[in-house]
Amino acid sequence: MYVRAVPPTDLNRNTEWFTYPGVWTTYILIVFFSWLVVLSVFNCSPGMAWTIVHLSHFLVTYHCFHWKKGTPFADDQGIYNRLTWWEQIDNGKQLTRNRKFLTVVPVVLYLIASHTTDYQHPMLFFNTVAVFVLVVAKFPHMHKVRLFGINADL
Amino acid sequence: MITIPYLTALTTYFSYGLLFAFGQFRDFFRKIFDWWRANNLQGYAPICLGLEDFYTRRLYLRIQDCFGRPIASAPDAWFDVVERYSNDNNKTLKRTTNISRCLNLGSYNYLGFAASDEYCTPRVIKSLKRFSPSTCSARVDGGTTTLHTELEERVANFVQKPSAIVFGMGYVTNSAILPVLIGKGGLIISDSLNHNSIVNGARGSGATVRVFQHNTPLHLEKVLREQIAEGQPRTHRPWKKIIVIVEGIYSMEGELCKLPEIVAICKKYKAYVYLDEAHSIGAVGKSGRGVCELLGVDTADVDIMMGTFTKSFGSCGGYIAGSKELIQYLKYSCPAHLYATSISPPAAQQIISAIKVILGEDGTSRGAEKLAQIRENSNFFRSELQKMGFEVLGDNDSPVMPIMLYNPAKIPAFSRECLMQKVAVVTVAFPATPLLLARARICISAAHTKEDLVKALEVISQVGDLVGIKYFPAEPEKQEQLKEMIKMD
Repeated sequence: MYVRAVPPTDLNRNTEWFTYPGVWTTYILIVFFSWLVVLSVFNCSPGMAWTIVHLSHFLVTYHCFHWKKGTPFADDQGIYNRLTWWEQIDNGKQLTRNRKFLTVVPVVLYLIASHTTDYQHPMLFFNTVAVFVLVVAKFPHMHKVRLFGINADL
Repeated sequence: MITIPYLTALTTYFSYGLLFAFGQFRDFFRKIFDWWRANNLQGYAPICLGLEDFYTRRLYLRIQDCFGRPIASAPDAWFDVVERYSNDNNKTLKRTTNISRCLNLGSYNYLGFAASDEYCTPRVIKSLKRFSPSTCSARVDGGTTTLHTELEERVANFVQKPSAIVFGMGYVTNSAILPVLIGKGGLIISDSLNHNSIVNGARGSGATVRVFQHNTPLHLEKVLREQIAEGQPRTHRPWKKIIVIVEGIYSMEGELCKLPEIVAICKKYKAYVYLDEAHSIGAVGKSGRGVCELLGVDTADVDIMMGTFTKSFGSCGGYIAGSKELIQYLKYSCPAHLYATSISPPAAQQIISAIKVILGEDGTSRGAEKLAQIRENSNFFRSELQKMGFEVLGDNDSPVMPIMLYNPAKIPAFSRECLMQKVAVVTVAFPATPLLLARARICISAAHTKEDLVKALEVISQVGDLVGIKYFPAEPEKQEQLKEMIKMD
């Protein structure tokens, strides 16, 4: 089965890979396989496994999307050095399809995790905090906003 | 259009994710170790910010032996590659004194002028003795010799424009001319896959830069209409001037530009056209005059034609050809003309002799033979590769053919296996190409004979089977022959 790769007009090589076909599927598959791995390694209930996946997903995506700034190569002379990955994708345009997808994934993970743990404490508390932080960080109003100077520039 | 098998796309993303994750882990532990050990910065800021050199350190250095291989002879069809070894897993590479004679599929040697040529080299040596290797001065001070004026006349005549100006370096030609041609209040619309020199020149000019989808005249028209209607950012005044920048042959795709449609659109909206013919001048077209001749576009419609002498002419340097007023203005204002050293006299003589050979003015028909040879070679090679099932990009007649690899592990596998079988190829990966689309780029030359190409095809087919890059089904020709043979038995 073949797909066509149309070169996008995004000049930022750090983010334009996200517009090619197959990214969403890979993301979902990685999350699903990590759930299977956690289940087999920790020998816990499926609900706990989903909670662990949800929380580690929160840590990884918060670090990669909203904490690290700039690009991993020096070709672009540092014009994106003040922007996190989330602020760079789609050239800063808000509410595109990619952004909506990335906002929905943590919410869906939260629903699955809380449903499979039957909404018990303390997992529910941690899950809720995680999804709250992630969704608020992705609001259009939070574009280039640094609360309390956290992660502001040097 | 690049068609990827869906499973390959998924595995490529997964591989890059894995590489990225491992790189982050190693960086994390490196940070812990370095905090333990005292650093000798003494209050100075570090040279690289944390994330900037991540790609170089954690991805590029792992396969460093596939890039930057030193060579020990002229880059002809066959050349000597110096062997290297590494004791610390490719972080540092040490050269040995062993060389291996390999088939050269990576140099931009389109017409075979890269090695010693029977017409050009004696004349170059004569001019080296007469003029010395360097003029040691800028063009306006003492750096204009008779060779330079003759070269500019010949280049203008070759590309069929009223006049031309020549610079010592191809990259500088783009990055120093664009700031002079356009400034703040102007608009540059450039193809999304333009070369880094154009991107740098456009950024340095201060004009607003917009990008249109690669080789899509409809999208160019849409962007032009939108931008002309909106005007300058914030003030909405009309743009002072609009330049559309395209390339003749895109070096990473091997595709020809859709020049007739783009020129028609630019005429309609009164935008200037800047054509960068770095790879197409001298290599395509019936008499080697580039992509305008091949596609039947009148050179008077293209306002600024730029090219380099590194690819087809076997020399170094770049040129800009345009109207007399434009070149006169550039001679007064371009910093590459006023302050940079002028092109070296033997290099200029090499270009003059190469142009004479291409046009047949040296009394032989070698130029026409070379042009026919490269066209035949490229078409033969491309059709054979496609028959074997590789995904090869590029149009017919273009001497650049990228073979798609996609997965990051296949890049060093392909490169090293081919080198073991004495074929030297160039592989390109992120960030020069998009993340998914890593490729091996083959440049065909007029100096390759049919036997060389057949050997290269054998080696590439073998390595392709080993590495697993035949993404398309092979042509059923051979299967039918086999069936017939079985029937006869």
